[in-house]
Amino acid sequence: MSTQRTILNNGITVITVENPTADIIAGRLFLKAGGRWELREKAGISHLLAAVMTKGTSHLSSVEIAEKIESVGAVLGADASTDYFSVGFKTVTEDFREIFQLVGEITRSPSFPSEEVELEQYLTIQNIRSQQERPFNVAFKQLREAMYAEHPYGTSILGSEETVGKLGRDDLQQYHQTFFRPDNLVISLSGRIKHDEAIAIVTDVFGDWQTPNSPLPELTIPLVTSQPTSNKNPQDSQQAIVMLGYLTPSVRKEKDYTVLKLLNTYLGNGLSSRLFVELREKRGLAYDVSAFYPTRLDTSQFVVYMGTAPENTAIALEGLHQEVKRLGEVLLTPEDLQGAKNKLLGQYALGKQTNSEIAQILGWYETIEVGIDFDTQFQEAIIEVTIEQALETAQQYFRGDPYISLVGPEAFINEQF
Amino acid sequence: MVDVWVKAGVSVEPDPWYGMAHFLEHMIFKGSKRVAPGEFDREIENRGGVTNAATSHDYAHFFITTAAQYLPETLPYFADILLHASIEDEEFVREREVVVEEIRSCQDDPDWLGFQALCETIYGESTYGRSILGTEEQVRDRTPNQMRCFHKTYYQPENMTIAIVGGVDRETALSLIGDTFTGFTVRSECPTRTFCPQPVLTEIRRTELRLPRLEQARLMMAWTAFGIDHLNEAVGLDMISVLLGCGRSSRLVRELREEQRLVWDIGSEFSLHRDSSLLTINADLEEQHLETVERKICDRLEQLQTVPISESELNRVKRLLLNDYAFSTETPGQLAGLYGYYSTIATVELSVTYPQHIQKMQASDLQAIAKQYLSPDKYAVTVMKNLGE
Repeated sequence: MSTQRTILNNGITVITVENPTADIIAGRLFLKAGGRWELREKAGISHLLAAVMTKGTSHLSSVEIAEKIESVGAVLGADASTDYFSVGFKTVTEDFREIFQLVGEITRSPSFPSEEVELEQYLTIQNIRSQQERPFNVAFKQLREAMYAEHPYGTSILGSEETVGKLGRDDLQQYHQTFFRPDNLVISLSGRIKHDEAIAIVTDVFGDWQTPNSPLPELTIPLVTSQPTSNKNPQDSQQAIVMLGYLTPSVRKEKDYTVLKLLNTYLGNGLSSRLFVELREKRGLAYDVSAFYPTRLDTSQFVVYMGTAPENTAIALEGLHQEVKRLGEVLLTPEDLQGAKNKLLGQYALGKQTNSEIAQILGWYETIEVGIDFDTQFQEAIIEVTIEQALETAQQYFRGDPYISLVGPEAFINEQF
Repeated sequence: MVDVWVKAGVSVEPDPWYGMAHFLEHMIFKGSKRVAPGEFDREIENRGGVTNAATSHDYAHFFITTAAQYLPETLPYFADILLHASIEDEEFVREREVVVEEIRSCQDDPDWLGFQALCETIYGESTYGRSILGTEEQVRDRTPNQMRCFHKTYYQPENMTIAIVGGVDRETALSLIGDTFTGFTVRSECPTRTFCPQPVLTEIRRTELRLPRLEQARLMMAWTAFGIDHLNEAVGLDMISVLLGCGRSSRLVRELREEQRLVWDIGSEFSLHRDSSLLTINADLEEQHLETVERKICDRLEQLQTVPISESELNRVKRLLLNDYAFSTETPGQLAGLYGYYSTIATVELSVTYPQHIQKMQASDLQAIAKQYLSPDKYAVTVMKNLGE
């Protein structure tokens, strides 16, 4: 497999990975847009754009687009995330040129037909409501809002019923005009195709697209400050969800990010993780007990959680809190540290197997400006982490109280605070 | 990637031993005389590997993904916990709580509840109607003795398929397997399961669930067909399910979601089982549209039986499924799963004939299959509504 990074004359960054293993080409277009760039009163616009984008261009109707994709058995869809907006596709090699032309048309000239905007608006609002059906989602929403307040990370990528209901075709057009331009675009391709050939096809489709003279808008994002709170939402559910969150650094703070990724693996990833062994295997408190620390451009969150019998709420809360605090109190053994490194690196490698995964990870790194070399740098940095660093970093970020989110039967969660 | 498939799913559970196959899957990870609880997980994950397992009606399967170089070190652990699970009383009692939590978390998931109700509606007391997890009470009734008996009965060579895919040659793989998957336990014979025939539907069978916090009503409809011994029909039903409910240009999505806006989402799925496959159509919608949508779906099935599908629609479905097949054979894990699954419910050869079956299918074949299996007046349906105030 070989990787190349090319910048076209009009400013588009193209990443190509030659991977002859299977007769497949997968690709992903990234724009520096998404939830993080949304105004609070327009929350959900990126997601709505993603939903409507594939439903009409200046030449094709929604039905025609779907026909074009599905008649060759390809996969194509747009997706909005907090830190990027993407258009992804997968096809057998033979159909690549045709599908990529369609990707170009959708990206450059979507028409946002009014009736499609209305339909997707209505479906999104329903989707927002249905998030309330599952206790885990309710608990996570509560935690996110408490931790991020006014920051865009505090709102679901779907937006809220109020904001989505007020969005219109004009908003989508303006958003598209603002962010969809060559100098804001990264195209990442992986599969059975030569670099030159890939560049030629990309140039064919996107080469005549000109960057406007106006600069990209400057982004002002509210600062996130730590003011831990305890939150509860009573529900007559079978399980209580107990969730603790700590504000932790962005991927741009590379050193701390690396150490915390490793601590997260040690604590909550896999069947041999500390939380799994201590709280599930030895104490039988939960089926699902885990931790996550997503890679983010702005301040991220380090979250531990479990679903447990309502009467175990207090023990679960105490147990989870104790395990996070312990990271700043007790040095890991060299064996534990090495085990966590191997685990993280092994899983990292397993997450880069398919062409879609490869195109995703490299394009994403390029888009969030850590660069495609971050793929190797990150792995090297993990190897270098010491037990002292792990302890110090844990002390720095887990010293204070956590944000707490509880969801479950009233009688049990009300006892807590 | 090593994927071990065992014919020890729910379908071989003795009559009252609900939840046994799945609970045993949990207990396998608790180790053997030589491998302490948690030791196996550590050995795999500390070498950068991943392991997990799943249980269904036709099988239980266990897999490890590890760099090829570690296979000689990890395989002995894997074989030992599978063949010589010790199922100690104390660990059994502890793990039971974990299984109970798993059951509770499923009960907070409306779609899991709905699907379970639908299976019970269509399969009745027969195998595929039986809950994989069992209920909390049923799981609490299981004993370590029963489980050891179940394990010794079914975790035997004739019930096992081991699929290995990745950077290891055939001879090395075979010799590693030969060296480690050896010394199976002395056989036991646990009580047999009474054969319970699947109910024959002569009308529409209906169940309704009312749940708190449900934000959208659900309509779930199901039809059954023969099992893997009728692969061609299964492939035909797979194609019909794509035709009806996969992608924006599929019939139901286009009509009910995009054009008439009667549903928020609709999809169709086909599940291939050893004995009785299942085609389902599921919609999320407003409660007031339940009847209309159900009727329209039945009209579309009727239409399938009377009007052959067009050449272009047939080709769309074929391309979609063939590419889907290609896309699902990209990684060693996917391949091992595919081979292991077919080998467990039929023969491994069938896994590669699937594309040929698709290619051969004609519009008239699909019409005949729809006529035989997808009756608009004999099916099972589960609806879910909000409990209300």
